[in-house]
Parts: sequence; C-alpha cells; structure tokens
Amino acid sequence: MNALDLLLLTSLGTVLFSVVFSASLTGRMLLTMLYAVQTVILFQIDAGTEMVSSFGFEIFNHALGLSFNGLSWFFALITLGSAFFAAWYGLNQQQKLLHVGLSANVFSMLVLLSAGDFLSLFIAWELVSWSGVLLMVLGKQESLVATLKYITYAIAGGMAVFAGIILIYSWTGSLAFNAVTENPLSLSQYGTLAILLIGGFSVKMALLPFHLWQAEAYALTSGPASVFLGAISARMGLFAIVITMMHVVDLKTLDSIFLIPELFTFRDFLIWVAALSIILPTYTALRQNDARLLLAWHGIGQGGYMMLGLLMYDQMGSAGGLLHVFNYASCQAILFMSVFSILHRTGTTNLNQLGGLVARMPLSFLAMLVGIIGLAGLPPMNGFVSKWLVYRSLLSDGMAIVFLASVIGTLGTILSVYKLMHNSFLGQLRVEHEHVKEAPWSMTVPMMLLAIIIFITGVMPGISLELVANAQSAIGLTPVDYHLGGVVSANSAISGDLDMIWVVLVLFSGFGIAAILFLSAGKSRRVHQLDNYAGGHFLNANNQYQYSDNFYAGLMHIIKPWYRYSFKWFEGAVVSFVNLAAVFSRSFFNQAHMLIWMLVVVTTVMAVAII
Amino acid sequence: MHIGLGELLIELTLMPLVAFIVGMLMVLMMRRVGARLQRRVGPPFFQPLYDIIKLHSKETQISHGLIHDIGIIMAVGGYIAAETLLPVPGMNGIAEKGGLITLLYVMMIPSLGLALGVGQCANPNGSIGISRALTAMLAYDIPFVIVMAGVAFIYGTTNLVEVINIQQEGGIAAWGAVQMPFMALAGLFALQGMLGKQPFEVYVAPAEIATGPMVEMGGKYLGGLFVMQCFQLYTASVLYVTLFLGGGENWLFLLLKAFAVLLIPISIAFLFPRFKTDDLVRLMWKWPVLLGLIGLVLINYR
Repeated sequence: MNALDLLLLTSLGTVLFSVVFSASLTGRMLLTMLYAVQTVILFQIDAGTEMVSSFGFEIFNHALGLSFNGLSWFFALITLGSAFFAAWYGLNQQQKLLHVGLSANVFSMLVLLSAGDFLSLFIAWELVSWSGVLLMVLGKQESLVATLKYITYAIAGGMAVFAGIILIYSWTGSLAFNAVTENPLSLSQYGTLAILLIGGFSVKMALLPFHLWQAEAYALTSGPASVFLGAISARMGLFAIVITMMHVVDLKTLDSIFLIPELFTFRDFLIWVAALSIILPTYTALRQNDARLLLAWHGIGQGGYMMLGLLMYDQMGSAGGLLHVFNYASCQAILFMSVFSILHRTGTTNLNQLGGLVARMPLSFLAMLVGIIGLAGLPPMNGFVSKWLVYRSLLSDGMAIVFLASVIGTLGTILSVYKLMHNSFLGQLRVEHEHVKEAPWSMTVPMMLLAIIIFITGVMPGISLELVANAQSAIGLTPVDYHLGGVVSANSAISGDLDMIWVVLVLFSGFGIAAILFLSAGKSRRVHQLDNYAGGHFLNANNQYQYSDNFYAGLMHIIKPWYRYSFKWFEGAVVSFVNLAAVFSRSFFNQAHMLIWMLVVVTTVMAVAII
Repeated sequence: MHIGLGELLIELTLMPLVAFIVGMLMVLMMRRVGARLQRRVGPPFFQPLYDIIKLHSKETQISHGLIHDIGIIMAVGGYIAAETLLPVPGMNGIAEKGGLITLLYVMMIPSLGLALGVGQCANPNGSIGISRALTAMLAYDIPFVIVMAGVAFIYGTTNLVEVINIQQEGGIAAWGAVQMPFMALAGLFALQGMLGKQPFEVYVAPAEIATGPMVEMGGKYLGGLFVMQCFQLYTASVLYVTLFLGGGENWLFLLLKAFAVLLIPISIAFLFPRFKTDDLVRLMWKWPVLLGLIGLVLINYR
C-alpha cells in the first residue's frame, strides 16, 4: 500500500467518521484533524513523479486505475486546505449534513484528481457533482431553488461529457487517457470532442454562458459550505479542462480549428469566453446588495483569469492560471469566512443593513481587508502575483485587448470589494449592532491563519510557485523560472521580472515613513461617529447617516443598459425550447395510436439505415 | 547593472525624497499658473511647504478611528513606495524588480488607503465622494492601460529601465511620442484624469469639500493628502516622460520635460467647466480609448 492508497482510504474513513461522530463537538474537532492528517499524507506523495494507486478494477475489459501526478497534487492540496479551514470554521455548526457533505466532497474530489482514464474520470465527475448538492441544500428555501438549478446545469454538463467520452470510445476503441494521442482523429472530430468535453466541464467552472447557476448555489447555503464551495469546488471543472487539453485536444489542435476561416480559431473563441467571464460577472457582482452573492459572483469572474492563463499555455501564463487557483481559493475562503461571521453575529448579509462593524469585529475586518486586497490583486497579497503572471503572458503574446479586458475586470473588482468593505465594516454603526461581539475563536483563528498564508505567499510566491512548477511539468509544460521572491523571464518575448520581497519591503518601509510623519504631527482626538459634519443638523442614533444603496450610481447609470439580462434571456430561451420539446413528446406519448407512430418511426429509421 | 546594498538603500531613500521636493515645486507651479490665468499674483515660493507644516502642526486633530489614521498612512506610504519603482537619472531603485505592471498596481494602493480612511469617517458625503473617485479611477485607468499595453508591445519589455534605455539610445526618433503619437495623446488624456485636477476633479473640488472625500479631513489628515498630491503630480508626470519622452538624460532634462508635461494639463484645466462623474466616464471611455485603440492597431500593423 502506497501513500496514495493511504490518502484515499483516510479520506473514505473521514466520510464514515463524519457520518457517525459529527454530532458532537469533539467529533467535529477530530474531523478537522483528519483533514490535517490527509494533508500530511499528501506530503508523503512525491509531487514530482507519478504515483499509481494499487486500487483498481475491471469493467467490460477496461482496467480502471487511479494515479496521482503534480497537477493532481496541486489541486489536492488546495482541496484539503479548503476543507481543513472550512471544517475548523464550522466547528460550532451542528448540521450533520454539512460535515458529511464536506468529507464526501473531499473524497470524491480526490478520486477525481486521481482518475487515470476517461471512465473513472466520468464516474468521479458525477460523484463530485452530486456530492456538491449535499453542501448546497443547507440554507433556507432559496438554497433549494438554487440547488435545483445547479442540478439541471450539472446534468446537462455531465451528459455532454458522457457523450464526448462515448465518442472517444467509439472512435478509438479505448478509454485510456492515451487513447486519442495514439489514434489521431480528424479536425472535425477534435472539434466535436472539444465542444462536448470543454463545454461540459466548463459548466462546473461556470464559464459564460453557463454561469447563471453558480452564485446562488454557492452563496445561499451554510457558511462553512460556502467557504469550501467558493474556494475550490468550481476549480474541479478547470482540472478536468486541463485533463482534456492534455489528453484529448491540445491547444495546438484547438488553434488549428477555424471558426471563421483564417481569422478566428477555437482557441481564440475560448480566450474571449474567458475574458468575458472575467468582465461580465465582475460587474454583476458590483450590483449585488447581498455580501454573499457579491463574493460568489466574483468567484465566477476570477475563474476567467485561471482559464485565460491556461489558454496562453506558455510558462508564465499557465503558471499564473494555476497559481491563481491557489491564491484565489485562499482569498475567497477568507472573504466568505468574514462575511459569514457577520451573518453569524448580526443575522444579515444585506449590505444596505450593515455598517461600522469595524469597531465591534476588528479581526473579521482584518480578515476581509487581507482578502479584498488579495482578490483585487493588489500588492502585497498573493492575488497580485498570479494576476501579474497572467498579465505578463498576455503582453508577451501581444494580446492587448484581452489584457485590457482582464485589467477592466481587476478595476471592477476593486470598486466592488470596496463597496463590500465600506457597506459592512466602515461607515456608521447601526443602533441594533451596538452590542455585537467579535465572532467566536473557532471562526477568527482560521481566518487569521489564512490571512497569514495569503500574506506569506504574496511576499514569497516561490513557496507556491514550486507546487505550480510541479503541476506544469506534469502537464508537459516547461516550468516557470521562479525564485523565492518571484519570477525571472529568461525566455519570453517581453522581458521584465518580479521580486515581491523587495516590493513588499519597500512598500512597508513607505508605510513606516508615512506613519512616522503622521505620528510626529499633533496628537489627534478620537470622536464619536455621530460627531460628524451634517450640514448644520444634529445627528442622533435614530438618523440613518450612511450611504450604501446604489453605491456607484454614476457608473451604473452608464453601464446598466449594456448587458442587462442578456444571459437571463438566453437561459429563458433554452428553457422555453426544452418546455416545447417536452410538450411535444408528452402529447406524442398521450396519443391513442402511439404504437403505430412508433412503428412508423422505427421502420423509417431502419429503412434509412439500410439504404 | 549590479549595485551594492548600501548604495541601493541610499537610492531608496533619495528617490522618494527628491520626488517629494519636486512634487512640492509642481504644486507651486500649478498654483502660480492658475493664479496668472486669473490675473492674481499667486503664492510665495515656500507656500506648499508652509501648508504641509501648518496642517501637520494644527492643535485640533480629529480622528474617526484607527482605520482613518491607517488610511492616510497607506495613501502616503503607497506613493513613497511607488517612487522607488520609477527610475530617474542615476537611480533605478527597485524598478527592475517590479516593472510597469507593479507600478500601476502599487499606485492603486494610495487610492485604496484614502477610500478606507474616508469610509471610516462615517460620513455619507465622504462615501459619495469616494464612490465618485473610484468611478473616476475606473474611467481614466482604462485608456491608461491601453497605453501601457502599447508601450510594453512596442519596446518589448515591461521593465521601465529598458524602456528608457531603448528611447535614449535611439534618440528622439525612438521616443514613444514619435513612435506612437496616438498613444501619447491618449496617455495625456489619462494623465489629466489621473492628476485629479480641473476639469476632472469633481470629487475633490474646493467647492465640493462638504460633499466629497475631504469632508471629515482636517489637520494632519489633510496634510497627509497634501503630501500625497505632491507625490501624485510627480509620479504621473515623470511616468509620462518615461513612457513617451525618452525619460531623463540627466536631472535637468527630466525636470524640464516633467514640468512641461504637467504644464499642458494645468493650463488647459482652467478653460473647461467641471465634468460630472458620469460625463467623465463617458468622455474617458470615448476619446482617449478611441485614440488608444487606433494607436494599438497602428502598432500592430507597423
């Protein structure tokens, strides 16, 4: 039995443990420890080489195998880390389904990550899809609606993947990962597979236009579930897309499939899908008034950066895309944690009914501050490094317009996360929140640990880039040239290096000098929040002296008409079409002479087949 | 170019210091030009320094909480750090360890700091001002990013030291402004927005003090923002010179170019009435973006 077997067994054991013991606090503590144990076991697996599990069985003469390489390792670390922090954060949550769902998700994701052929990939894919449901139904009524929507999308995506895998089997006669690479197909066959597989997997990843389900499904459930789902769940789609690009249609093939002759290839199409997946959801997030939905919409937008980085397929781009999975997971987890600790203490995440909480919940504020700087991709947090890599790659490839699109996404993120922070933690504290306390230790400690991780991997990106480099070698790319502080660009079209240690050092020295200047000036006097300029009026506790609704009125005025409901319209059209088809087929089966009709159809089909 | 640690530390200290002094001179110039246009005499030479000292030594200093203080520190500190990423004659600081993209993002930290500080002030007027200021940032950063992409593309680097070297080796013909005139024009537009000066300064305009980010700022808080403004003028104009006018062959040329660049926006500034925030967005997303895109197309088909 090797380390991979042990990992999978421990993970399965964790599921059983959670079924039996998650009712008690001690049980939940042990459960959290079990995720740490799994992480320790993960570190026993060498990320640089491929490890094959001794589990495996045969179906219809097909050997199903499980194996682990650098890419699986990288995603597995993020999965286990997210689960560990989510479980810790959820120590006080007594819902059993939450803990069972979490461990089931981790197990199914590990199986997916170690899938060794297309059939096990599909089985694990369905496991992941269905275990996701366990975590989504934990909220109120609204979460059920969102889950139903998710199931609809997931089934559609799963069927597309299934069709793709069947086609691979019928064209090559094998379900092994090397089936396609050993039996080259025609361009149209590659195109079909690309549409089915990448399309099917991108449902989970919530790339446009399959993104409408995700925000509600991830946000409206229980806190720790949101933390886990938001951090890693959708990235399984990215993993599967990488697998597709590695084993079925590589980017070179995608680049030779022209959608518009000589002008626009399938890869260009995917790049634009990724770019639009950055912009549109980010600006939808800007319009949200519920903190949870705002974050979940950003999750969709950030997925675009990862996709974009991978589609560049060079050293820096793919490193940026993969690194962003890690960085984004840490930032999104800490943000969801902070928002749910607000919900825990105040009972609402409505951004129009909060404000001024920094005075009552300083640690949650600090967590959110670190998280938003990371999510927006500003130095010194880790989000900056991965976005920098993606930008560099886009600039080296001369993709100025896509570069512009990704920066527009970042600017929108800055606006939106400021709104999140301002409306919840800054501004006037409301009367009803006067006696709110800081979130319990079980919530603040994991937040602070994550904040440290976000900062450390921002200052010393070499730590996480080492993992990324392993993943890059596993998918056959040249690993990025990294050092502890950042990257060097030895062989790229455009030169320019990054050393975060120096940048952060200088940044903090700047803050230090500014602080000395500030503190050496006259001593300031702290005033109450109602001691404020109010144009001659006297403020008292009953005045709502806060600006939160319609925060960017001037901007919204301009951009609102540009993309209003366009995708809702698309979704509505698909729903109407399916309804219509359902009505037809129902009336077909309700007919008195149905059998005769079926006979006619079957005969016709047979006749056509024979001719 | 490898230099010793001690020398680097001296550079890192000198660069922000010089930037601050030059920035104060730029504030002075801006005020004098404004005064001459309005047929006034204008303030004396040391007025910017007097203002900073006065604001920092006021007896009444009102703080609205820790984040209010930290916000101001971030606003000034962010620019101090930004100066070390901007190469000047004889000093490269850590420009080669960051580059253009890092500089752009470090320059957003002061805005975030200011926004945090104003948010903590708990005044809706301030928050409205910040929402306008951030919208304005979104407006002028889009043409600026197009310009950045063009620069990175034409020089084949995001390293500002190399950008300067390429321009200086090739002479005036290799300058960004000659190589890509449309970009230079778009950059000038973006610069004017970035400076937060007339006619794009509705969020900080003197007449809007009571309904802008400055509403709760007094004493050293306002003083900190004054210092930030000095840095802002210096950074924006020197960056423009670096990207389009060949950087500084020596300090004299650098300063001449930087002051000349700054003179353009501030002399046009007083001719126009103030733009509303959404009009600013419309304007910025129309003309400079259009110019920038034309520039990009031209660069692509060069």
